[in-house]
Amino acid sequence: MALTAPYVLEYTYRRSVGPVVGQFLTGLRDQKFLGMKTSSGRILVPPPENDPETGETLSEMVAVGDAGVVTTWSWVSAPRKNHPLQKPFAWALVKLDGADTAMLHVVDVGEGGMEKMSTGMRVRARWKAERIGHVTDVACFEPESPQAVTR
Amino acid sequence: MERCAVIGVGQTKHAAKRDDLSMIGLVREAATRALEDAGLTFRDIDAVVIGKAPDMFEGVMMPELFLAEALGAVGKPMMRVHTAGSVGGSTAIVAAHLVSAGIHQRVLTVAYEKQSESDAMWALSPKYPFQPPLMAGAGGYFAPLIRAYIRRSNAPNDVGVRVAVKDRLNALKNPYAHLKMPEISAAQVEASPMLWDPIRYLETCPSSDGACAMVLSSETAARSAPHRPAWVHATATRSEPNLFAGRDQVNPRAGRDCAAALYKQAGITDPRKQLDAAEIYVPFSWFEPMWMENLGFAPEGEGWKMTLEGATALGGDMPINPSGGVMSSNPIGASGMLRFAEAALQVRGQAGEHQVEGAKLAMGHAYGGGSQFFAMWIVGDARP
Repeated sequence: MALTAPYVLEYTYRRSVGPVVGQFLTGLRDQKFLGMKTSSGRILVPPPENDPETGETLSEMVAVGDAGVVTTWSWVSAPRKNHPLQKPFAWALVKLDGADTAMLHVVDVGEGGMEKMSTGMRVRARWKAERIGHVTDVACFEPESPQAVTR
Repeated sequence: MERCAVIGVGQTKHAAKRDDLSMIGLVREAATRALEDAGLTFRDIDAVVIGKAPDMFEGVMMPELFLAEALGAVGKPMMRVHTAGSVGGSTAIVAAHLVSAGIHQRVLTVAYEKQSESDAMWALSPKYPFQPPLMAGAGGYFAPLIRAYIRRSNAPNDVGVRVAVKDRLNALKNPYAHLKMPEISAAQVEASPMLWDPIRYLETCPSSDGACAMVLSSETAARSAPHRPAWVHATATRSEPNLFAGRDQVNPRAGRDCAAALYKQAGITDPRKQLDAAEIYVPFSWFEPMWMENLGFAPEGEGWKMTLEGATALGGDMPINPSGGVMSSNPIGASGMLRFAEAALQVRGQAGEHQVEGAKLAMGHAYGGGSQFFAMWIVGDARP
């Protein structure tokens, strides 16, 4: 007879992030985004340990702003329970002020929906009150207030 | 065929946990040391060949992709090699072939394992449906083979203990070794818990985080190297299935055939006499005498005599694992490359305190799976 049976593979792993990502995560705890300056002068966020073009070891970490520009986005109209927000939101690539690359996060537009999202819009990080050194220390990004835009 | 030389060697300080480094940092510690030894930068490298044990160990699928930038491989050929525990050796051989085939001038080859982030023991013992679970890891697999060896050869019971002590004493002379046990003694090994009879705790290798890297080059590129190169005289790999009728797992044919092909290429007829040192993959102490026979250093049934006579000690006539070997550092994927790299250090006269005086010809050996994958090379101080 042809038989089948379930086959579950489950292992316990550990991860160590190393000094560079370690510093980036520690920075988040202090409400600060840190980037890495490459040999050609670009600022990469999140920071890599080495220059992606030349392979050289990099060490010049610089702080960038906690606000920036949405470079692209995707709307989630019906979030599921493992999504970071339990209301409609956007996954977005955010290029922080002073950075040359964008990082993935979420945007909460507040009242309203997808019509509030646009490529090129300015957003600012909303920090959690209790921060532990994790990318979710940033609860989300939200549209910058009109005052900030006209600043 | 082009001549191939080892012009740079680098390795990490091996340890149970290198929590100070990410996987990227670990491979870079070895790679940048190899480049520095070769007087080169990542820009000078034509291609990268990387190896590690199966992906399930750390649970990172195809890690070579995320390591490409860290190894300066952007826009260059990069290749991953998979041959279980022997992978460090076969990775170096693939890199050497890219040079000897005349395809590249300078190849960076790297192997690593971050065992503190992995689950090697259980990754080797999945609970397959319809089969009784072995749940014993590598030690449980190899213990019966060692028992069979002892029965066949009538070896005295303390051979494994002697190897365990000898390799840990050698490790004291190696600044990169993981285990540092200055008080090691036969009594201490004998008193350690029996894990898988006849393998005691101190007769096994440790679990290590570590990486190894080498820069291999053509003869032309070797001329501008700052340090004396080690020349590759011979390379060989052989494999056999894990199970087939009549398979001799104690003295596997793939290992014997691999050694025979290797010696033929290097013009060696009496390995014990002609080789000055060998770094052999010995993860459980009893594998030293077993491999002595498999590699033709001793007649069948007499490998253990070499250990007891002290022939395999650092001052003996056939020093085995002067670095302390796998018994003292075991970053699995890198362990085979460490054997190859340590052989190169010996013939370059760069082995420091564990240098075999005047070593001119040395062998590196790796095995993997259920004693079924073999990779070996012979390096010399003179051009082949």
